[in-house]
Amino acid sequence: MSLFRALIRKEFLLLSRDPHGLLLLFVMPAVFVLIMTFALQNQYAMNHETRLDFFLVNQDGGQFSAAFARELGAVSPFNRVTADAAETELRQRARADEVMFLVVIRPDFEQNLAVRARAVKLLVAPGTSPVFAGIAEARVTELLNRFYLQYRMASLPGISAGVLDTSTPLVDSESLFDDSGVLPSSVQHNVPAWLLFAMFFIAVPLSTTLIHERQQGTLMRLQTMGVSRARVLSGKVVPYLLVNLMQVVLLFLIGLYLVPLLGGDQLTLGSHPAGLVLVSVAASLAAVCYALFIAQITSTVEQATIVAAVFNIIMAAIGGVMVPRFLMPEAMRQLGDFSPMAWGLEGFFDILLRHGTVVDVLPETGGLLGFAALMLALTFVFSRRSASA
Amino acid sequence: MVSIDTLSYQYSPRTAPVLDGISLTVADGALFGLLGPNGAGKTTLLSLLTGLLRCPPGKIFLNGQDVASRRGPATGLALVPQEYAFYLPLTVGENLTFFAGVQGLPESQIAERVDHCARRAGIQDRLRERAGRLSGGLKRRLNLAIGLLSNPRLLLLDEPTVGIDPDSRHFILETIRDLNRERTTVIDTSHYMEEVEELCDRVAIMDHGRLLREGTLAELLVDGGGSLETLFLNLTRRQLRD
Repeated sequence: MSLFRALIRKEFLLLSRDPHGLLLLFVMPAVFVLIMTFALQNQYAMNHETRLDFFLVNQDGGQFSAAFARELGAVSPFNRVTADAAETELRQRARADEVMFLVVIRPDFEQNLAVRARAVKLLVAPGTSPVFAGIAEARVTELLNRFYLQYRMASLPGISAGVLDTSTPLVDSESLFDDSGVLPSSVQHNVPAWLLFAMFFIAVPLSTTLIHERQQGTLMRLQTMGVSRARVLSGKVVPYLLVNLMQVVLLFLIGLYLVPLLGGDQLTLGSHPAGLVLVSVAASLAAVCYALFIAQITSTVEQATIVAAVFNIIMAAIGGVMVPRFLMPEAMRQLGDFSPMAWGLEGFFDILLRHGTVVDVLPETGGLLGFAALMLALTFVFSRRSASA
Repeated sequence: MVSIDTLSYQYSPRTAPVLDGISLTVADGALFGLLGPNGAGKTTLLSLLTGLLRCPPGKIFLNGQDVASRRGPATGLALVPQEYAFYLPLTVGENLTFFAGVQGLPESQIAERVDHCARRAGIQDRLRERAGRLSGGLKRRLNLAIGLLSNPRLLLLDEPTVGIDPDSRHFILETIRDLNRERTTVIDTSHYMEEVEELCDRVAIMDHGRLLREGTLAELLVDGGGSLETLFLNLTRRQLRD
């Protein structure tokens, strides 16, 4: 039996007997993908799914304000929730996040509009995202401007009624994501994001086995049998690379089949699968070498677990795994440029979102391979130092 | 034959030597006992013999070959460490197969070799059992069985019976005797006097990296007034007083 075959077989057996490791590597990311895909679905689906519920209080009572209220209820993505209650009660219910907004049409609506005074008050519920609050304010302002124009132009002769038609969209908006014009959904972000998170978590089972080997004298015994430390370490690269690729297959299958089955959007793989393979392998090598480094700089399983988890969570947080980077301010985005998870994520996005080719993922792949080389070099430096101590 | 000539060793220039001018010879087919309290330098000596530590040139010879000039693993030699140096989540059979595999045994011979060594160590009925679930005595036997996979001519045992029940201890000592009868040279490092007295024909007593006494068991028993323990305590205490 060849040395590497024996080492690889042993690693697979050890991993298959480690239920906590399997939970961490396969169950955790699968659950995260499902939860986060559905939780963030509205953030990505403004065009067809999002509903901005609101209460309306009309303090004016005139025909013009009544027309405005009707129109507001019909504007997408607003959804007026009718409630027969006083303003004070509606405020309380909005404060309890029953709706996203409370729209108050002030008295003398028409006169206020004529002199460009504040005619409407928008009260935002505490649980409403600032993004949705901004959208609501923009839509209400847009509608008020249309009503203002309608008011000013009504007396002018020769103005076609079509000019004031609010039902006709004046902007033709479409996504460059694919030919269908559909915007990318949360599954396109969450599958690669949580996949990378899980890939880097191999640091926990890998360092656990390596530390056990060191503590129990198995590593020493292997050395007396002519199996060098370097061979033991390289014997771990192939099995964990395969484990990472199994994670890739599992999470992509979830995005392709399970998420749509549960009512979500289907993951779209782009048109260059070779690019996906390249990014996956590079990310895996980065994760495996990072795991070897963690195992080398820690001396107990507890230390390795904590160090790996802390660094993984930091890399994920700044790398756009937990919060998409487009929601981050510029400074945070620049900080994220230091995270290998961000490189991997951008590589996946090149293929999954931007329909890039293998050439497009080369910068990210290069970064990941460079990180892998650095981790491996540091591992051997620390390994030699501890061997000679 | 193992020949050690005025061997000294220190882990770093700033620390005291752990071995200080050791010279001894272990003949082929001997059952050699290396006695010493914790910190005597026994494990360091075994590490130098197996190549785990780099040996200074011209100090240790195995069958006439300078250990320092050896390239690659030591052939014909196996170390049975004091720790349970195997994989607890794997079965007995999987452990034996793995260690046979990494030593380059051909695929066709592995099953036969695993079976032979398991029988030798009396664990042939436990091949499907997880190593972590074995009793302390059975774990020691598995530790020994792994050491036998390469069919070594020189077997280095580091505290082979520490912390086990009398039955397993008896079985392991019997197995070591059988191996020795089949011309396997055995170096047994221990701090159990009765084990060495029961097993070995030549004995060396070490402390603080120095060889305090070496001779046949009979010679040492005479020096100790019939008790190896008395001699051991006299030598090591005198050493402390000095």
